[in-house]
Amino acid sequence: MRFFMTRLLQLPWLTIGCVLLLSLIGALALYSASQGSWSPWAERHIVRAAAGVVMMIMILVIPIRYIYQSSYLIFVGALIILLALQAIGFGQGATRWIAIGPLNFQPSEPAKLAVVLALARYFSARTPEQMNSFWTYIPAFVMVALPFSLVLVQPDLGTSLMIMMGGLIVIFSAGIPFRYIALVTMAALASMPLLWANLYDYQKQRILTFFNPEDDLLGAGFQITQSKIALGSGGIFGKGFLMGSQSQLNYLPEKQTDFVFTMIGEEFGLIGNLVILTIYFLIFYSILRLSWRIQHRFGRLVCAGVSGMLFLYVFVNVAMVTGLVPVVGVPLPLISYGGTAMLTVFIALGLVNAMALNSDLEDEDLRLSIRR
Amino acid sequence: MKNKRKLKKELIQRMGRRNFLVAGGQTLLGVLLAGRLYQLQIAQNEGWTRLSDSNQFNVRSVTPARGRIFDEKNRLLAGNTETYSLSITPLQAGNLKRSLYQLSQLVDLKEKDIKDIIEQASRQPRFMAVTVKDELTQRDLSRLAIRSPLMNGVSFSKRYRRIYPQAHLTGHITGYVSPVTPRELDEDPRWGRLPNIRTGKVGIEQALEHNLRGAPGLDRIEINARGKAVRIINDKSPVQGNDARLTLNMEVQAYAYNRLRAGNSEIVTNTADIQRALQSNEELRSHFAAGDNLVLRDANDRFVPGESGSAIVMDIRNGNVISMVSAPSYDPNQFSERLLTRDWKRLSNHPRTPLLNRAISGLYAPGSTFKMVVAAAALEAGVITESTRYKCEGNMEFGDRKFHCWFDDGHQSLNVKQALERSCDIYFYEIALKTGINRIHDMAKRLGLGAPSGLNLPFEKLGIMPNRDWKMENRGTVWTPGETIVAGIGQGFVLTTPMQLAVMTARLADGKKAVTPRLFADDDSPVDFAPLNISQSVLKVVKKGMEQVLNGPLGTARRYDLDEVGLAGKTGTVQVKRITKEQREAGIIDNIDRPWKERDHALFVAYAPRKNPRYAAVVVVEHGGSGSSMAAPIARDILAQTIKIKGV
Repeated sequence: MRFFMTRLLQLPWLTIGCVLLLSLIGALALYSASQGSWSPWAERHIVRAAAGVVMMIMILVIPIRYIYQSSYLIFVGALIILLALQAIGFGQGATRWIAIGPLNFQPSEPAKLAVVLALARYFSARTPEQMNSFWTYIPAFVMVALPFSLVLVQPDLGTSLMIMMGGLIVIFSAGIPFRYIALVTMAALASMPLLWANLYDYQKQRILTFFNPEDDLLGAGFQITQSKIALGSGGIFGKGFLMGSQSQLNYLPEKQTDFVFTMIGEEFGLIGNLVILTIYFLIFYSILRLSWRIQHRFGRLVCAGVSGMLFLYVFVNVAMVTGLVPVVGVPLPLISYGGTAMLTVFIALGLVNAMALNSDLEDEDLRLSIRR
Repeated sequence: MKNKRKLKKELIQRMGRRNFLVAGGQTLLGVLLAGRLYQLQIAQNEGWTRLSDSNQFNVRSVTPARGRIFDEKNRLLAGNTETYSLSITPLQAGNLKRSLYQLSQLVDLKEKDIKDIIEQASRQPRFMAVTVKDELTQRDLSRLAIRSPLMNGVSFSKRYRRIYPQAHLTGHITGYVSPVTPRELDEDPRWGRLPNIRTGKVGIEQALEHNLRGAPGLDRIEINARGKAVRIINDKSPVQGNDARLTLNMEVQAYAYNRLRAGNSEIVTNTADIQRALQSNEELRSHFAAGDNLVLRDANDRFVPGESGSAIVMDIRNGNVISMVSAPSYDPNQFSERLLTRDWKRLSNHPRTPLLNRAISGLYAPGSTFKMVVAAAALEAGVITESTRYKCEGNMEFGDRKFHCWFDDGHQSLNVKQALERSCDIYFYEIALKTGINRIHDMAKRLGLGAPSGLNLPFEKLGIMPNRDWKMENRGTVWTPGETIVAGIGQGFVLTTPMQLAVMTARLADGKKAVTPRLFADDDSPVDFAPLNISQSVLKVVKKGMEQVLNGPLGTARRYDLDEVGLAGKTGTVQVKRITKEQREAGIIDNIDRPWKERDHALFVAYAPRKNPRYAAVVVVEHGGSGSSMAAPIARDILAQTIKIKGV
């Protein structure tokens, strides 16, 4: 019993508390998004958060060696599902979803975690000498490029960029020498025109609209302009819960998903927005701080990856709704309505907790056979 | 070993530094976000708030004016008129009830209206406007213009209302517009943002919807803290839809409509007579209830409503539809605003279905007007020549059935031209049998029967032009010779629209090209019809027969020729109820003495002038009696009027 209690105390309670708080804020925001009604979004959001907590606990029960040793398997599985998506997936103009029984499931969300796990395992098994060799990084880049391109062709530009950036953060955290970073950056810049040529028209349109939103006031530019109006008119304290005229009069599009931060900004003002950003940053920092306690590189890289992914989502979403980057369809974790994305965050949190509970193991311990 | 440990420690340290770098980068970007939020929500707050307010109250999509519809002489068939409505925003008005009572001193507002408005306002957020009164009169406007600036939260909006100045006369051609339906909204949700948008539901309004519609604009009204408009910023002007010019000639159209409706009866103008007639005549009452006030006095001195049917005039040279009448008609103005349930009931309960566009959607057996098709098919097949004669003895036995000619005494021996002239049924029974239904079908198709007219109007019917395959597919049984006999005089399965008969007449008259009708004059595409592919020697005989109908000594329409230019044509009298043997023996009752529904349809197809034809016309009078005495004079008068107005 005492053992159990000490283990419980090792859990990152601050992080867990922040995540639950954000889920609650999300439910309230969705309540407002449906003009003061628990259905259709808020009630399901709460149910999903509860399901997420269960998932998180389930992951804690799994021995960390299992997780470590099935990392590649999970990665390959994710790739196969993404590939199969082209055949069995559905969605409006893009194949992003598959149906499992009554549930619709968006495989590109857990695919992000699979990339983090696979990269973490890959680097944790490299010797320090190998970490200085250029050739060590080629397989790592391939591990990022495969899911990136599979999600890009769905087509889902936003998520594929998230996967790529998240993967790069893990590679960066693993300690890639700066000279290679310079090399990769140049290669990436050179391939930009190629990427642009392969974008779909609507994706190009969104990027072009970003640079000149007033061109298309009833179309894509409408979203950015209305979002800025909503945020800006919120002021310091906001217009009050359920009182956001932009949101409640439906000037604000997609207010339950991509533009939920805008709605909060309109109703709770700068204060509300900063409170939410602060909670997010508490999560990022606490996960990073946690990783210093961990002895194995696998755990450190998983933490870096999870924290990095979450950060990217929050940053791109907020930058998007404030008009700093084009609208690419990235939700705000834990607050936006969307089941797969939410469960993925809880699973990620479960992984981080699992690392925290096993912080004193070495990489070599993880590689020991499970059947002893 | 020691070296290895050292290296590993170094790597862990490097990873720690990387963590710091990542955290530092995140912090920098976080500060950037906070800065951006500060910029939007504090530094620029005032500007965005103004935009938000004008969104709340006064940013709106501006509905474009719809394109107008003109006749060939640019007379207006469908246009727009401006109308104003008054609305109030509770949040700015403060005390809504008091404001409404103040307004009731300026415009006509009843106690109940005020209650309804307050009720409606309570069901929505206070910053949303409620409509106080729609369609303000000029008097309302001028009073409000002076007083309302002193009242908070009161605003006007202007919008367009669709008008059809020709009302009944062109109702079926223009069709009408009405508010957007949920289905249309599904197809293009953007139209939902447009206030008072109307879409075409039938006729030209629907056929040319995308041309007429135009593009929406966007207006922004800046208001101050008291809710008063400071200035209007026009972000994007609406683009008016394209106008459409039709081939229609309004003068001919109006004449044809009135001429068809009057039939050959006297129009009753004496109010006392009409009052008396209404009391005893239920059918007349239902017409009056539907806004149809025409009363005729028929040959038996009875009061009856106006005739129903269709009349079409077409220019043979270019296919231009000069007049296209369907009677009775309806007033499309009723539909542009919310259609009153009362009006809808009257239209849908009307005994003669005014909403049906008989010209393209009314199906009639062509009767004897089909005999040209049969004659042409027989001549082309070589079954007969110009001089082949058959003898008519008033009836003909075939199998165990007896087929009758309309002329009991029999026409005796005649050739094909005489058979057309006198409309002998026996002659066409004989040659139809010998030609066979498939060859008749083939000729009919070339002449435009059983095919889309090419007008591209919604709800056009195809009719039925049967052949052996058609019977097998649709009835599941083989074609019988008896059916060929009946088809030989355009009865039985054969069904056509008046427009198809007009096309047939135009093609026969032209003789060389497959004339196709059109309604749009803007369409400057050169008139280049496909070849008709019927031999001139065949057509010469058929046309000669059609001429003899009017100028032959025994022509069925010899009394209705147009002296100056001469007509060619063909009568048709279509039985709608089978005559039983007993009835035949007892003597057939005159049309006029039968109930209206049991009388024969009267048809006449014609072209003019006899030499160098220019116009083709079709008249169908539902239950009008006989083609010669009812339809022929109407067609003659309409053609005479057309020539008077448009020349030859």
